[in-house]
Amino acid sequence: MSEFSRRGLLGAGLAAAGAGVGAVAGVAGATAATGVNPFSAASNGDESIDLSLSHPFYATAARQPQGGIRTDPQRYCVFMTFDLSTSATTDLQVLLARWSASIAQLQAGKTVGSVEPAHGNGVGADTGEALDLGPASLTVTVGLGPGVFDDRFGLAAHRPAQLQDIPALPSDRLQDGLTGGDLSLQACADDPQVAYHAVRDLARIARGTATVRWTVLGFGRASAGPSQTTPRNLMGFKDGTRNITTDDEYDRFVWLDDSAGWMAGGTYQVVRKIQMNIEIWDADVVSDQQRVFGRTKVEGAPLSGGTEHTTPDFHARAAMGSGAASDGDTAIDARSHVALAAHENNGGVKILRRGYNYTDGLNQYGQLDAGLFFAAYMTDPDHFTRIQRRLGAVDRLNEYIAHIGSAVFAVPPAPRAGSYIGEQLFR
Amino acid sequence: MPFVERTVRPLTILGALGVVTALALTGCAANPSSATDDASTSGKVSRVSITLTNDGSDKCAVSTTKVPAGPVTFTVENESSTAITEVELLQDQRIFGEKENLAPGLAAVSFTSTLGGGKYQVYCPGADTEMTDFTVTGKVASTANSSAASLLKQGAKGYATYVDGQVTDMVTAVEQLQKDVAAGNLDAAKKDYADARPYYEHVESDVDGFVKKGYKATDNAGNLDYLIDMRASNLDPAVGWSGFHAVERDLFANGAITDDTKKTASELATNVQLLAKLVPTLDYQPEDLANGAAGLLEEVQSNKISGEEEAYSHIDLVDLAANVEGARQAFAYLKPGLTKLDPTLTKQISTQFDQTNTMMDGFRNASDLGGFDSWTDATKSEHANAISQRVQALQDPLSRLAEKVATA
Repeated sequence: MSEFSRRGLLGAGLAAAGAGVGAVAGVAGATAATGVNPFSAASNGDESIDLSLSHPFYATAARQPQGGIRTDPQRYCVFMTFDLSTSATTDLQVLLARWSASIAQLQAGKTVGSVEPAHGNGVGADTGEALDLGPASLTVTVGLGPGVFDDRFGLAAHRPAQLQDIPALPSDRLQDGLTGGDLSLQACADDPQVAYHAVRDLARIARGTATVRWTVLGFGRASAGPSQTTPRNLMGFKDGTRNITTDDEYDRFVWLDDSAGWMAGGTYQVVRKIQMNIEIWDADVVSDQQRVFGRTKVEGAPLSGGTEHTTPDFHARAAMGSGAASDGDTAIDARSHVALAAHENNGGVKILRRGYNYTDGLNQYGQLDAGLFFAAYMTDPDHFTRIQRRLGAVDRLNEYIAHIGSAVFAVPPAPRAGSYIGEQLFR
Repeated sequence: MPFVERTVRPLTILGALGVVTALALTGCAANPSSATDDASTSGKVSRVSITLTNDGSDKCAVSTTKVPAGPVTFTVENESSTAITEVELLQDQRIFGEKENLAPGLAAVSFTSTLGGGKYQVYCPGADTEMTDFTVTGKVASTANSSAASLLKQGAKGYATYVDGQVTDMVTAVEQLQKDVAAGNLDAAKKDYADARPYYEHVESDVDGFVKKGYKATDNAGNLDYLIDMRASNLDPAVGWSGFHAVERDLFANGAITDDTKKTASELATNVQLLAKLVPTLDYQPEDLANGAAGLLEEVQSNKISGEEEAYSHIDLVDLAANVEGARQAFAYLKPGLTKLDPTLTKQISTQFDQTNTMMDGFRNASDLGGFDSWTDATKSEHANAISQRVQALQDPLSRLAEKVATA
């Protein structure tokens, strides 16, 4: 119990309820070793954060995905991409093996080597700032960018056909320094320092083999797992209400099957850094904000009626005086974000969104510099491209956002114990 | 030393001795049965396998813990331990051989050491039992690693000559600067300034610890490094500004030589002459060279990349190249001994120096002052990131050098 009070945090929902704290702590503590928090599944939206929980890194079955994809989104996330500075295939191989072994240590809440070396003139192997913080449900997800399969490493024959750079899309405002990368790390945890420490140690291991390219610090989750309440993005709207949840959907839209060869059980990661024009948005009347999203702000219900999880009716007509542009328009604007992104209007295609809110402080004009770090997983990056091509062209939201960063990565399945991520590439 | 005392000396490794001994004792007590006494031998070479596993805890198993004196090949395989990434063969605190970058899934690697009789330890940092005693029977080698140790000592001696030479050349260059300043010859003085800077930047981390006799270590008025190399951003208002960068401001920002400039240049010459008298009294341990080289690269990252060092003349790339060159010299003097201790690390650092030099060669420009591109805002925003990351890649293996050479 004292262990819990030192390490544990309670989510807002539970704290507000103000009851049963001790009982929750007991349950969460008892299941720490399994990495599963049954309480959250039963709690219908009330979240308790137990920083002693951990996720296993190694696969125990064939085609098992890496963590950090279906894992209930942790509260914080650090994303970083790298450029390989070596052209030696063995350097890449050693890096992936060292990263894998290190991630296994980090996810278990351990250091990567000693903090105080035995020799007086030695430098510490681990940087030490996560000592005593607990595993905090850390997951580190490793992605391989298109550059891994170019002519430098002799791996071109392994390149999956779907792994292509995202083409230029309407409304793109991409910056070179926020785009691309040969490798990606997505480290998510319920303690921001645990996530940052993981990326820092892994970036250190990469020195001499890869250089850092760009990074985003996500300070709050903007997507929900099946047992979590839908969080809000920085525009104040619920994000990810219609996200992928069922096994069937994961198999159809996220996980690659045996036909993907060495990528079976893997997936593709598409990331976008989406800057929001915060001040302009804040000055927009709420009825217009709702029209932009196609949902109500507080409940998150589709403007065609119902509650948050009611299926939107894109054909329903607007009621008289409802604020829609004119009599006879649909209740949900055809150019609203929800209408354009809906699978019903995209040939049935869905992608798993797993984003985080980010801030970079203030920009050079004295404006809040913040937005959404959009991370999504899918069986083919082209699914994102198809959706974004429509959104970028006509989404009402484009007035308030800019896509400034972008990258795509192949995310191999988790390795078995005794192996490492991408090992099949080097046989 | 009548005029000065040296306040900064690099740490020695004495503090670490106790730690290693303690670990060796626990290892001995806790791991009595993990090995047999038979080494499999092939010809004259003894073969020892070291296997790293995790079955709930991280184990470092040594196939045999007793071999006859002579060449021994250690083959290391990491089957499933995520916590153990390196294995060393030690005698007391000396490293006789090692393998790094061990991770599950990678092929086995091996190293061979020629060992004399005596007690050794197989050190697996991160294992449940980190130290396993390892006995070599037979003739005791005449301090088996003495060749490496004496080569390193020899290197440190050679490096002292290099430092002395740099400081002597700096005196000549600064005297030329003073002469042209005294004559009011602005263009010549600018060129002299750029010519003099690299000498200090080659060796600054070795020579920055002197305090004039009669001054407290905390008083900048007696700190030779302050008096010679202080930048505007770190000024001590109680002492004021003198030295290279005060002259730089007059020559490059003000574009005029005043009486103050002449006085500052003259003081600089005096202080540099004093430094040249003191530097030959220093002697260096191999780890001083390693720490000094690492210190020079820290200088690169903290002051040169930002353009803070040469805020008026913008010859930061001249300084940066000189820092790298100074670090490369220190490494070069250690190299013969280091190659015997750790050929992998030696090669790694050599490669990184080569790549860094190749990159710096791309910035050579005979028409800019000092022979390198001027570090303007435009060059900076285009190249600073790449230079910094290239130097980081060098810094990382170099930071492990001190430990190696101190334990030889």
